[in-house]
Amino acid sequence: MTGSLLPLLVVVPLVGAALSALAPSAVARALLVLSPLVTTAGGVALLIEHRDTPVLAHNVGAFVPGIAIPLVSDTLTAVMITVTGLTTAACIAFALMTGEARLRFFPALVLMLSAGVNGAFLTGDMFNLFVFIEVMLLPSYALIAMTGSWRRLGVGRLFVVVNLVTSTILLVGVGLVYGVAGSVNLAVLTGTDPDDPRFQLAVGVVLLALVIKAGVVPMHGWLPRAYPATSATVMALFSALHTKVAIYAIFRIHQTVLDGATEWVTPLLVLFALTMLVGAYGSLGERMIRRNLSWQMIAGVGYILVGVGIGTQLGLAAGLFYMVHHILVMGSLLLASGAIEQAYRTHQFVGLSGLMRREPVLAVVMALGMMSLIGLPPSSGFFAKVGIARAAAGLDGFDLWWVLGVLLVASVGSLLAMSRLWADVFWGPPLEEMPSRGAATSDLAVVAADTRLRLRTLAPAAALLAVSLAIFVVPGPLWDLCLRAADGLLDVSAYVEAVLAT
Amino acid sequence: MTVLPITVGILVAGGVYLLCQPSLVRIVFGITLLSHGANLVLLAAGVSAWRGEPLTGTGDPADAGDPLPMAFVLTAIVITLAVTVFMLALARIGHDDDTPHVPDTGEEHRR
Repeated sequence: MTGSLLPLLVVVPLVGAALSALAPSAVARALLVLSPLVTTAGGVALLIEHRDTPVLAHNVGAFVPGIAIPLVSDTLTAVMITVTGLTTAACIAFALMTGEARLRFFPALVLMLSAGVNGAFLTGDMFNLFVFIEVMLLPSYALIAMTGSWRRLGVGRLFVVVNLVTSTILLVGVGLVYGVAGSVNLAVLTGTDPDDPRFQLAVGVVLLALVIKAGVVPMHGWLPRAYPATSATVMALFSALHTKVAIYAIFRIHQTVLDGATEWVTPLLVLFALTMLVGAYGSLGERMIRRNLSWQMIAGVGYILVGVGIGTQLGLAAGLFYMVHHILVMGSLLLASGAIEQAYRTHQFVGLSGLMRREPVLAVVMALGMMSLIGLPPSSGFFAKVGIARAAAGLDGFDLWWVLGVLLVASVGSLLAMSRLWADVFWGPPLEEMPSRGAATSDLAVVAADTRLRLRTLAPAAALLAVSLAIFVVPGPLWDLCLRAADGLLDVSAYVEAVLAT
Repeated sequence: MTVLPITVGILVAGGVYLLCQPSLVRIVFGITLLSHGANLVLLAAGVSAWRGEPLTGTGDPADAGDPLPMAFVLTAIVITLAVTVFMLALARIGHDDDTPHVPDTGEEHRR
């Protein structure tokens, strides 16, 4: 595999999007299924390739390096493309079962989203990062507006306004970087003095925009309001793709361009520790499954970025490991919640009770997923948290103790939130004996006595969970990949050489 | 040279003021102003003094303007236009955001 094949990862879903907008519905759905498989296969091929050649690069249009549009892939990129491709495939499988895939333009929009995501992972240039993030956001606006509850139109506005203003900040940041450094190519920017205050400020504006998009406290408020109002499928897609692209860009830009900015370690750690705490405990106020999970998503962002805050090889690798784990487990839980909604028409705690006896398979899937989210064995979450704690143990002095303390306290928060969800939804009296049943004031649907969810709607969630369990059994290969990706972030010489040589 | 920063400042101040208004149409105008401000920042990132066209064969490359920020601005304008149109559509169908009004989309609603 050579670098010149890299554009295919963007072109294939994009052409697929164009075709599926025109083609008959069945063809569109076939394209929808094929595209994430192609992406995942490409990601795996890249992973294999990067064992020998650490970095592949291609300058689109054969312009001079530094001016051309660079697409670069290293281990970090390959891991992200593989995991997001896999999760997208699971979400699409679920969309086919719920019938969402039959909505007009749904296949085209999802394919466009996936093209933008792949592009954002591959690009080696800040302005193209902005463009690909926009390519990713435009279909998302439409997806939010066409699926989910009636709230979607209100929160659709919120989502559009927040993301558009953030994109404008990102654009200003890119402009400032260009003004200071004379280039927006990441490989060229590694040559700029990272101690120049003007340069730091310019990159800081870019990072600020990315931090808002990632949902870091105190800029997190939009996420738990916007995401749960869409359908479970779209929320699972967004959870796997949107915030994770922003986090990936933070990993990349913070490490390669600012050299990790070691003097900012403590403020960054405070910010990310707050994110963990607010996310973990924010769930406690929520009375709906997916709203509950959306706060845990924010906590996850905190855990992942603490790895960046620590900034050592261990820290970066642990953050990346956590990200892989979080994408899989969050996707699994959201799709399982979607399966509940599919059968019981609600994800509110008041409308659900005693599901443990009624739906034993669902209970097993959700229980394992929730244990993974908290960080208990047997699941990938255990090793992800161990990794973060091990990396935090490398901090010195005071930082060490409070970061470890926050990790512990935030995990307890996740445990409380998850046990609450479990107690309300899975324990309690059987659904028929619920006090709210049959009450005229309730606008909840009354569930027929023989309602059970169809087991196949659980399959995508179970598949993602199986990957997470497999990571618990054999964490070695993924951990090695994460270490190699962290090496690539710390020593950028191979990256620079590959981009500027092609 | 001070004209550009002052213009950017005024545009951003107006944009932020409009963003704080409740009506979505005003928010759309606010975002338009903000993105104009951002575009001017991008232009200022190149050389803001008067330069020749950056086309091959029309003059000395040393006198030509920097084409890259202009390309950035063009891309940004296209993206903002698309989103503005989408937001105006949302403003037309969505009614108020925070009131528990159920928009009339012709489907069955359940909270």
